[in-house]
Amino acid sequence: MTSEKPTMIEMRDVHKYYGDYHALRGINGTIRAGEFFSLLGPSGCGKTTLLRTIAGFEDISGGMIMIDGKNMAGVPANVRPTNMVFQSYAIFPHLTVAQNVGFGLRRDPRPKAEKQREVDEALEMVGLKGYGNRAAHALSGGQRQRVALARALILKPKVLLLDEPLSALDKKMREQMQMELIKLQRQVGITFILVTHDQEEALVMSDRIAVMFEGGIAQLADPETLYRRPNSRQVADFIGTMNFMPAKIVAETGDLVEVDSQGFGHVTLQGSQCMGTPGSNGSSIGFRPETLTILFENQQAVDRESMATVEEVVYYGDMTYYDVRIDGMTSPVRISMRNVFGRPVLDIGNRARVAWSPGALVLFR
Amino acid sequence: MKRSPILGAYAVAYLLFLYGPILILPLFAFNDSRIVAFPLSGFTTQWFGEMWADANLRKALGNSLIIALSTATISTALGIFAARSSVRYRWPGKAVVMGMIMVPLVLPEMIVAMALLVVLLTIGVPLSIFTIILGHVLICMPFAVAILTSAFQSLDKSLEEAALDLGETQISTFQLIVLPLVMPGILSAFLITFTISIDEFIIANFLGKGDPILSVYIFGQFRFPAKVPSMLALGTLLVLFSICMLAIAEYFRRRGIAKTGGKDSGGFL
Ligand SMILES: Nc1ncnc2c1ncn2[C@@H]1O[C@H](COP(=O)(O)OP(=O)(O)O)[C@@H](O)[C@H]1O
Ligand SMILES: [Mg+2]
Repeated sequence: MTSEKPTMIEMRDVHKYYGDYHALRGINGTIRAGEFFSLLGPSGCGKTTLLRTIAGFEDISGGMIMIDGKNMAGVPANVRPTNMVFQSYAIFPHLTVAQNVGFGLRRDPRPKAEKQREVDEALEMVGLKGYGNRAAHALSGGQRQRVALARALILKPKVLLLDEPLSALDKKMREQMQMELIKLQRQVGITFILVTHDQEEALVMSDRIAVMFEGGIAQLADPETLYRRPNSRQVADFIGTMNFMPAKIVAETGDLVEVDSQGFGHVTLQGSQCMGTPGSNGSSIGFRPETLTILFENQQAVDRESMATVEEVVYYGDMTYYDVRIDGMTSPVRISMRNVFGRPVLDIGNRARVAWSPGALVLFR
Repeated sequence: MKRSPILGAYAVAYLLFLYGPILILPLFAFNDSRIVAFPLSGFTTQWFGEMWADANLRKALGNSLIIALSTATISTALGIFAARSSVRYRWPGKAVVMGMIMVPLVLPEMIVAMALLVVLLTIGVPLSIFTIILGHVLICMPFAVAILTSAFQSLDKSLEEAALDLGETQISTFQLIVLPLVMPGILSAFLITFTISIDEFIIANFLGKGDPILSVYIFGQFRFPAKVPSMLALGTLLVLFSICMLAIAEYFRRRGIAKTGGKDSGGFL
């Protein structure tokens, strides 16, 4: 968990129109200095647009963006303390790797040798030592990305903006670069803002995540909170898998909410487990597949226990996904279980004991 | 799959018909006889010497070079503005304006020449080399704009944004990133408009004041049978020259594509 750091970027009611199209619809949020921040959302929700307004490539139609305490209204991209790693990497094809990396130092009055040393250092930092004289257009995708990173970081910006930098890489390379990016960010201590539509990537890499839908931020929180306490069904659905069951609020006393739900019966939830506007109807409860456990032989439930029937089994090697219908529920729920050596995998139609805990439930209303 | 031999024969006949006459040109340019007819009578370079000795022809060549260089420079420069603004910016009436620029491509040159002549005479502009350049720019613009538009289109917009992001201004970004990357297109537009202008006949004939111009001069000389061999020598040189120009233009175009890693979407060769 990150301690409170000073504010680096503040967005207040930011709006952006493309003609009639309302691309950003009142963005509010704070990005702290030195944090790894992600903008996560489905394609077309406005992530790139928001990133580009921070970089200064797009004017905003309303609201305010402050970077490091300064209002960015009317400040062009070339004087903002931000640098960008473009989705296409935007490597200058007619220049060498070293010329690309050193491009931002052109206006730097320091002697050539000193700048050259900095270029070499930047190349070494991204693992491209000795590549300086290569022609940029002959690089592989992963190498281009490293050049783009080195080129942006050499200016020591306050904020580094990355637009889906890993989406063009294959899975293995992507996972490797995720780790490298995290390490790099810790090493340089610069605020990173990453745009991604991949929830796993955001969870793995970020200190905090803003989940965006349709031009607005739906929830801004650290990965654990987003995962355990999503503030709407939409967010819960977008991040990982969540089971939903209809539920009815029977009583509210202070911070406690009593709920009647299919299968789980009568449970009492803390206020922190309840999302949405207090008092509204149409409730459902949600829970992650791994918060339920199938009990084998003489295992005992820590909290509550219900009986269920196995309806579907999906075997993944290290994991097995079960769709089970808990007695009293009208539809099955998904449970994910880590496979343990020597323990049998259940079959369709088996009866099973399922352990669950009211603390892992989230109420959406 | 087996192809019909008729198709092959057709292709050969087509190519012969197209290029045969051009092959005849050097043949008779080196033939030791004033009469252009088979059988050939021997090898000579006499016609090249005779051609070069002709002071009027040298004057015509000079004029034509002035016209072609000016035309190429002006239409390439104007083409850069037009192509850049049509690719990068939005403005009202763009489709119409860009369409109008391309129209001379499909208008009979005869019509263009007559219309220009009438207008120039009406508003009292004296005919000169300058009016020929004017006409040539008009018919060369579509070619320049077509080549340059494709050059600017293949330029990734984020390259310019990256340069801005790294601290350059709009102007220095244009110099450092845009110009070098579209330079092959610019060279190729320059060479092709030059080639079009140098052998253009109708406009040169209509809009000139009577200064000797290469194409017009050659046409005139063909009335004197004695002059024909030296004109064939000149023609041989012009063919060689055109081939060189097109080859250079194509070389730059392909190198540009290779450098920016783009896909070849067809060209002139
Ligand atoms: N320059 C533009 N002109 C018009 N509409 C645009 C422009 N850029 C983006 N949009 C629209 O704004 C919305 C958000 O786009 P974008 O920020 O690129 O989404 P994301 O990066 O989240 O996929 C999309 O519907 C897109 O079509
Ligand atoms: Mg995007």
